[in-house]
Formats: sequence, C-alpha cells, structure tokens
Amino acid sequence: MAKFNLFSEDSNKSPLARLWRKFKNNHPALVGLWVFIAFSLLAATAPFLAPYGVNQQHSDALLLPPSWNEMGDVRFILGTDDLGRDVLSRLMNGATYTFGLSVVAALITTIIGVLVGTFAGISKGIRSSFLNHLLDVTLSIPSLLLAIIIIAILGPGLMNTVWAIILALLPQFIHSIRNLIVDELGKDYVTAYRLDGASKWHILSRGIFPNVYEYIVVIFTMALSTAILDIAALGFLKLGAQPPTTEWGAILAENLGLIYLAPWTVALPGVLLFLAVLSTNLVGDGLRKVLQARKAD
Amino acid sequence: MHKLLLALISLSLVGCIDSKEEILEEKNQGLVYCAEANPVSFNPQVTTTGSTIDIIANQLYDRLISIDPVTAEFKSELATDWKISKDGKSVTFTLRKGVKFHTTSYFTPSREFNADDVIFTFSRLFDVYNPYHFVGDANYPYFQSVGIDQLIRKIVRVSDHQVRFELFNAESSFLANMATDFAVVLSKEYAMALKANNQENLFDQYPIGTGPYIYKEYRRDHLVRFYKNADYWKHEVALEQLVYDITPNGTTRIAKILTKECDVTAHPSSAQLSILAQRDDINVERETNLNIGYWAFNTERPPFDNLKVRQALVYAIDIDKIMQAVYYGNGLRAQSILPPTSWAFEPQKNMPSFDPQLAKKLLTEAGFPKGFDMSIWAMPVSRIYNPNARKMAELMQSDLRKIGVNVNIVEYEWNTFIQRIGEHRHDSVLLGWAADTPDPDNFFSPLLSCTATFSGKNPANWCNPEFDLLLTKALDTTDLNLRKQYYDAAQSMIIKQLPLLPIAHGMRFQASSADVEGITLGPFGAISLANARKR
Amino acid sequence: MILDYILRRLGLLFFMVLLLSIFTFSLSYLFPGDPLSNLSGIPDTNFTQNAQLEEKYLFNSNYFMQYIAFVGRILQGDWGMSFASGSSVFAHVVDLIPATLELSIYALVISVVVGVPVGILASAYHKQWPDKFISSTAMIGYSMPIFWLALLLIMVFSLKLGWFPMSGRVSLLYEIPASTGFILLDILLADFPYNGLAMLDALHHLTLPTIVLAMYPTTVLVRFTRESMLKVMDQNFIKTARAKGLTRGQLIIHHALRNALLPVIKQIGLQFSTLITLAMITEVIFSWPGIGRWLIDSIYQRDYPAIQGGLMAVSLFIIIATIMAELTYTLLDPLSRNQAHGKV
Repeated sequence: MAKFNLFSEDSNKSPLARLWRKFKNNHPALVGLWVFIAFSLLAATAPFLAPYGVNQQHSDALLLPPSWNEMGDVRFILGTDDLGRDVLSRLMNGATYTFGLSVVAALITTIIGVLVGTFAGISKGIRSSFLNHLLDVTLSIPSLLLAIIIIAILGPGLMNTVWAIILALLPQFIHSIRNLIVDELGKDYVTAYRLDGASKWHILSRGIFPNVYEYIVVIFTMALSTAILDIAALGFLKLGAQPPTTEWGAILAENLGLIYLAPWTVALPGVLLFLAVLSTNLVGDGLRKVLQARKAD
Repeated sequence: MHKLLLALISLSLVGCIDSKEEILEEKNQGLVYCAEANPVSFNPQVTTTGSTIDIIANQLYDRLISIDPVTAEFKSELATDWKISKDGKSVTFTLRKGVKFHTTSYFTPSREFNADDVIFTFSRLFDVYNPYHFVGDANYPYFQSVGIDQLIRKIVRVSDHQVRFELFNAESSFLANMATDFAVVLSKEYAMALKANNQENLFDQYPIGTGPYIYKEYRRDHLVRFYKNADYWKHEVALEQLVYDITPNGTTRIAKILTKECDVTAHPSSAQLSILAQRDDINVERETNLNIGYWAFNTERPPFDNLKVRQALVYAIDIDKIMQAVYYGNGLRAQSILPPTSWAFEPQKNMPSFDPQLAKKLLTEAGFPKGFDMSIWAMPVSRIYNPNARKMAELMQSDLRKIGVNVNIVEYEWNTFIQRIGEHRHDSVLLGWAADTPDPDNFFSPLLSCTATFSGKNPANWCNPEFDLLLTKALDTTDLNLRKQYYDAAQSMIIKQLPLLPIAHGMRFQASSADVEGITLGPFGAISLANARKR
Repeated sequence: MILDYILRRLGLLFFMVLLLSIFTFSLSYLFPGDPLSNLSGIPDTNFTQNAQLEEKYLFNSNYFMQYIAFVGRILQGDWGMSFASGSSVFAHVVDLIPATLELSIYALVISVVVGVPVGILASAYHKQWPDKFISSTAMIGYSMPIFWLALLLIMVFSLKLGWFPMSGRVSLLYEIPASTGFILLDILLADFPYNGLAMLDALHHLTLPTIVLAMYPTTVLVRFTRESMLKVMDQNFIKTARAKGLTRGQLIIHHALRNALLPVIKQIGLQFSTLITLAMITEVIFSWPGIGRWLIDSIYQRDYPAIQGGLMAVSLFIIIATIMAELTYTLLDPLSRNQAHGKV
C-alpha cells in the first residue's frame, strides 16, 4: 500500500532508527528504559545528590518511619534506621554500588567476552574443540556458585565480589558470543567477503560486528540483570559487601533484625532491587523482540 | 493452589490421624527451647560460655549445694549438710542417699551416687594424678582462674556418704564456688568404664549426670535432645522431651516464638521486646541480673599498653547514645564494674565521661596526633550484658572516627570467637560477664586476675600483682566490712588503670509461650528447666 | 550412532569430573592457611602428626603425586575433617545432601507441572489478555530477587497469618530416624505412633521453601515454553495444517507440542543446576538442614576442608545432572543425535 509522502524521496531510515521506532511501541519496554536510565543517573550522581552522609548517625532520630507516616519527619523522607542513618541517602548510595558496580562488571565481562568469544568463534580445529570443551565444563556450574567459590578463596568484600561476578559471568557470555560469531560466519555475505579476499580483521570489523552488536547489547542486559541479582545475593549472604557499605543486599541483611519494628528498612531495598532487575529485563526483552521481528522481515 | 493441595492431602490422611486427645497429649510432652549457639561440650567444668552452660548445667547435672537467688543462702542439693572447721581449712559434706546416675544407651550404672564420685569429679580439676585431669584440653577455665590448685590440698573420703575438703587456706568464697553451675558432680563409674575401653575422650561428649534430663542426641547447628529422667531424686519431671533448637540469629528466634516453632527463647533481641509484649500468647519476663558489659583492651599489645591511649579511646565514646540505641533503655549505665545490686558495689567518682576534646588531647600526648587503626571484636550473638555488640561497635566506630581512630569491626561464629579471644588475637573486644554467684569475687578473679590471664579467660590480657593481692586479701577474711574495703580499692584500680571500660549492666529477658511455666530466671547463674512444664 | 554419542558424552562427563577434582585439589593451596591443615582438617598439627600427614598425603613429592594421592583418598571416602565440627566431611555431605535434593526435586516438579502448561496456555492465547497477564506475571517473578520473595512470604504467611512454619523440615519434637534422608519417605517408613501428624507437619514445613525455590525455574519455563511454542506455531507446516482445517486444539496437541517440547525438556535439565544454587540461599533463609546452608556456614567459619567437600559434592551433582539431562534430551530428539561434534 502506498504511504503518503510529503516529499518525493524515499525515506529509508537506518536500522537503528527503525529499531528505536519498534522499541518505542512496546510500552513496558519503554517504561523499563526510562527506569533504567533513572537508575544509571542515580548511580552516577548519588554521592553528590544524597541529603545526608551515608554513615551520618542522628542519635535523636532513631527508627523514624517514612515521612508520610504521622510519626515521620520530613527531614528524613524515607525514615531512618536503628543507628539514626537516613534511609534515602543510604539507598541512593546503594544504587552506585549495586547498580553501578553491576554495570561495570557487565561491561568488563562484555569486553573480555567479546574478545575471547570472537577468538573462539573464528578458530578452527583442535584449538576450537578444546576451548569448546573447556567452556562446557564451566557452563554447567551456575554463576552464583562460581562466584561463591571465588569468594571462598579471595574472602568476602565488595571488590572481590565484582571480580567473582565477572569470572562467573564470562563462561556463559563467551559461549553466547561464540555461537553468534559462528552463526554469522556461516552466512553467505561472509563467504562473499572471503572470496573477495578480505582479511580476517576486515571481515570482523566491517562485516560481522555491525550485524552482531545489537545482539551483544541484548546479551549484555541479560548479564547485567544476573550481575545485579548475584551482587545483591552475595551482599545478603554477607559474603559480598560488608557493612557499613551501602549495597542494597547488604542493607537488607543488616536490617533484617528490624523487620518487625521498621519493616520499611527491609522492604525498600528489596523494591529497588526488584525495579532495577525488572527494568533491565524489560529493556532486554524489548530489544530481543524487536530483533526477532526484524529477522522475520 | 497450594492450600487446595494441602487440603486434599490432609483429607486423604484422615485415616492416619489420631484422635484429638492423643494430639493434645503428644504436644504437651515436649518443650522446644531456642538456643543461641552450639554447646561446646557436655561437661560444665571445661567451659564458662553462657550459651553452653545454659543448655547443660541444670538439665543434666546436680551440684552439691546451690544458692537461693532471693536470700543468698546456701541450699542443699546432692549434699544434705556441710560443716566448716573453726580454722576454715576443712569443709565436710554429708552426701544424699538414694541418688541414681542416668541410664542411657551407652551406660548403665551399677551403684548409686556416693563419695567416690565427688572425689573423682573435683580432683580432676587440680590433681595431676587423676586419670582424667589431662583428658580433653585439660582446661577448666572457671576453676583455674579462681586458683583451685592453690586452694584444695586434698579431698578425703570419710565414709560412703561423707567427704572432707582440706584447703591450703581458708577462703571465704569456697562454698560459693562449690555452688556455681560449673561445680557439677560426674560419675566415676562411667569414667572408669570409658577408660577401660580407651574412650576417655567421649566422657565430655556423651554425658552422664544425676540431673532431671538424660542426654539423647546432639546434631551440630541443629538440635540437642534430652529425655526425661524418670528416676530423678528431687521431683517428678513433667516434660517427656526437651529439645534445644540451635538458632544463632536473634531475629529468627523471635520469629520462631511468634510462629510457635519454639516454646521458649533465650535472649530475645531487645529491639523486638515491644512486639512480643503486645502478644497475649507470649510472656516476656525480665529480671535484674548481676552482669557487666565492657570494652576490654589487649593491654599486652601496643599502643593499648599505654594508659593514655586507653583513656583517650574511652573518653571519645558517647555511652548515653549506646544506652539508648543498643539497650533501648533496658540497661543500667555502669558506675563501676560491679552492678548496684551487689553488696560490694561502690560508685566510682572518676568514671570516664563523653569528652572528645579531652580524648584528642590525650591521644596527642600519647604520641598519636593523627590517630591510628585498630580493631574492635564484636560478639555475633546477643548476651544479657550486651544485646547487640555489632551495633555498639558501629556506634563506637563513628565516635572514634572523630578523634582520628579508624576502627575495623571483626566478627566470628560465637564459639570460634571465644576461642580466638582466649588466644588474645584481638586489639579490643566488646564482651561481658554474667555472675555465677552473688559473691563479688566472681566479678574479679575469673575475669581480671593473673591466673585468668594464663587460662585465657582474661580478655584484657592484664596481670597486675597489686590487684591480685587485693583479691587474695579479700578472700582471706570473712569480715564483710574488710572485704568491702578491699573490693572498693579493686574497683577504683580498674577505673584508674582501664584494662577494660565497664559500659552497662543488662537486664535478663526471656520470652516464652503463655502455656509454659516453671522456668526459673535468676539474678545470677544459668537457666534451669528442671521444673518446666506446659499447661 | 547412539552408542557413539553416549560414549562421547560420558567422556565429557569424565573430563569434567577430572577438571573439578584438579580444581578442588588446588583449593587446598589457594585457601589461606597451611595446606596440610586444609587437606586433612586438623587445625594445629604437632610434629608427629605433621610427619604422619606428610607421608599419607605424599607431601614431599611433586604436585602430580600429591594429586594422585588426593584422588585415591576421595574415592575411598576420606574427604578430610571439618575444622568446625571435627567430624568427617564425607559424613556431613552424605547426611545433608538428601535434604537439598528433596527440596530441589519437589521444586523442579512443581516448576514443570505449573510452568509448561501455563506457557502453552500463554502461547495459545497469543496477544490476548491471558497471554499478556501470564507474560507480565512471569516477568515479575523472573526479576524478583529470591531472598526478597522468601522474606515477603515469611512475613505474610508465617508471621502474620501463621499458616506455615518458617524453619526446619519437621517439628523437632518428632524423632524421625533418618533412613533415606528424604523426610517424606522417612516418615512413611518409620514405625512411629504419630505418622499422620508428622507427615502433615513435614508438608507444612516443605510448602514455603518449595514455593520460593520453584518461582524462578517456573517463570523461566513459562517464558521458554511460550517462546518455543510460538516459534513452532509460526512454522510453515503448522500454517498448512491450519489451512487444511484443523482446530486450534488439535494443532497444538498433535503437531506443535511434540516439536516445541523438545527444547523445553533440554531447558528443564539446565534448570537443575540453577536450582541447586538457588536452593543454597533458600536453605539459609529457611534454616533448611541441607548442603547449601552448611556450605555457606563453612565459608563464614573459614572451615576450608568443609568448603572443599561441599563444593565438590555440589558441583559433582550439577555435572551429573546436566549430563543426564542432556543424554535424555538427545535420546528423545532425532535431530541432535546426528550431530557430528558435541556443540552444546
């Protein structure tokens, strides 16, 4: 059917623009994206925006409920915990740790994963088979267990957790990237490039990556949501961030003792965690749907 | 959907379910007590850890005498009578007849309790020729820190039911020490039977006593199970079974009381008491208790060997804030190491106050103008004298940061924690002491004497011969006025030298289901479930 | 052909177990502290003990010989002694694994029984409200941190409503002899006056942990089944069948299901390893006496022999379960049987 064109040229939007268009129409995914961006901004600016210091104790204001409760105080919008620390400030800073560090971990995993995965994808023969088997071994061990093993060796602590998560996410990541590359390598245009005499590097950078990077982003979001859940789980088990670091999982574990007196100190970190993971999953899902639809076109 | 499933299964099991009377009868036959840690041993002689003693002492065993919590008089238990000689150096106990030791799957007694058991039990503590003296770690912390080997010369068997303790010196606290929860009576016959099979190491793990309950099983981190002793000499035991559910986390213990998975819980977290008090089906009991929570320094390790440093640290702490945030108003700020309810109590005039300026000045004078790094070891479990050491440490961390001292908080699983403190691995520690007897010496000798240092029970690693002299003099006389003078001097020496800072005296709490009765909480000593029953 | 594949898979299993054993062996050196202590479980060895241990563990030879000695010991059941309890690590593992397995198996069953049909349902009503509802619910469940879910359920069902208990497998007053280690079986087998009550009690205790544990795999299966079904329904042969006049129901049951369920079965197998890991967190929260809680406690207490033993046991189970699931999948799927190289 002919579309109404004000101008006579054909409007051929770039794949990226088309992707954004389709993505926009998926309302949950769009909402997820806004929340995701909000968290990212929060993670970056929290130390400057937070009203109080993270460890600032107010002995006159212990266990205040959030300000909309009649016993609350507008000075402390989300209330205080049992040492008189402002919950809002701690949760905002928690974004930097839980969300921010997860993003960093996922990014590092992506970089290493892409490098190693590509190498695994383009290598052939014994090297390839060996790498594949090695990957199979590590694939069967779930990321959280791997992270726990690494923590058992390195000892608890936030930075160790980040290393552990990176090491734990890598196998799955490398595996997915490798499969991606291998699939692409089987396509006709790559054969055409090779017949034309392009070098391996040329094929990779000009041919494969532009077709593949969107999928890498999808895998990145999946790694990110796993990273957030794992960092929080380790913090909750007291194997990760140690108090008074304000990682959300650690805050939850710390405030468990107050669950009857001050349930908001336990509920709020959980809600934030849930929203962070949900938004990441929504974005990832939305992207995946769009890419699938595009494949069908 | 799951309720439906459950209902279907329940319906299908109707045939297997017993009558209502049987259900009720079954429930009333056992009591579940939420305990806060694993027992380290089943012999009270080898440990002073409250969490262990609460489980084993009054349930599996009996002592020769006990102390009435109200009148502070001695009461007879396994000893029906006792006579002290004029010079105070001989004490003769007349023993009760007709007391049987436990019969279990691993031991059947062939005779009743008699003098041989008393001699064996107490000579194990100090006599190197006793075949069991070196069994285990040869560690008898309470008795070693009160100097038992300098006290008892020998124990004489006068007859089947009479023993005489012959002492080196008359000591006024001797009877009190014999009435502590650690001075239980063990079975010589059992000990010899194990020795014949080269199984001495099982003696402290598979206990035999004369108490109201018999040992059935112990599963680490899970439970301890006792059965009723049907032949108990003192009275009829109401419960068929007594189970200790080992739950180190205070909040979980409270949750278990709320969901009725436990009938009684030890040390309910002080923050949650208001929740429990609101419920009609839960009783919360509180009792003033002879205890002290303190902050002890490892005085053998620099810079804590410098008095000025200790003083500086102590003046930087805001104790009022701690009373509010940790004790929730349920504690008494310490005016001395002794609590006000002790007869030897003397409020100290120069107790440190909250003065960060002075603290900074002292620290500079001591040679640390920029401060330094240190560790505070905080207990992971809630105790009577300190409901939340972790929180207290965090409050102190924030206070100390203001004078430039950076604090690292160290925590371990409770029994590991105690062991490492005994090895003096700490810079400073938040710990405490709950009295076993109302005798004031109980606050000094087991805690701060030189013998306590050698046996690893002195958390301040402090040995001061002048201090020890005061304690010895106080024990040498029975004149209360004279003793008080010595104890006054001892209390003020502690505040002057600050091997530890007394922080607060806590109240003893217990939460139990409303249908449980007969549990005695006292101002000192371990809990007794001998008379526990369910309505 | 099949035999060849099975042999190759078993070869992979052997290879993986080998790598696992090497890794576990190296842990004794990677962990802080004296390697001899870490291997044996005796914390402060005196001189004679040292000499004995050095002989037993071939400490003075090179790493390869030590490794051989290590493997020998493992096969004999000597996994060292736990620092914390002083008893044999192997005994602990055997004691605790059934509890974890029981919980995981029940959760897996629930996730399959609930997840797969719901996923099929969602795909049948694609783009209509049942699909949207199921998809959003699955997304919410998938994004929820498991420990938060557990806390919420405890708050509502245990503390507020009092319907379910929140810790342990059965009320402690019931003394149930541990014959198989699976609590429901043990109750049935035990000669016990209060069997019915005990069974009911055990079911009560099982409910919350199983629901919590089953949440994540159920949502994964719902999403995966739905996608797999949608992919199959999109294919040409379905469209042809539709054109020929088959009803929706006939289409799904006779044609789409068999093809769509194959990858789902594979996914079920993969879920097992995630289950065991999530079970660790669940066990900690519900004080469930399984191997996960023991492993985490050992990490707190720096009980290195126990950590080694626990890790080895858990990883072993995961590897075996994964390979078994793969074998089952391959036996059922004709296409993958013909693959020349095992590309996972």
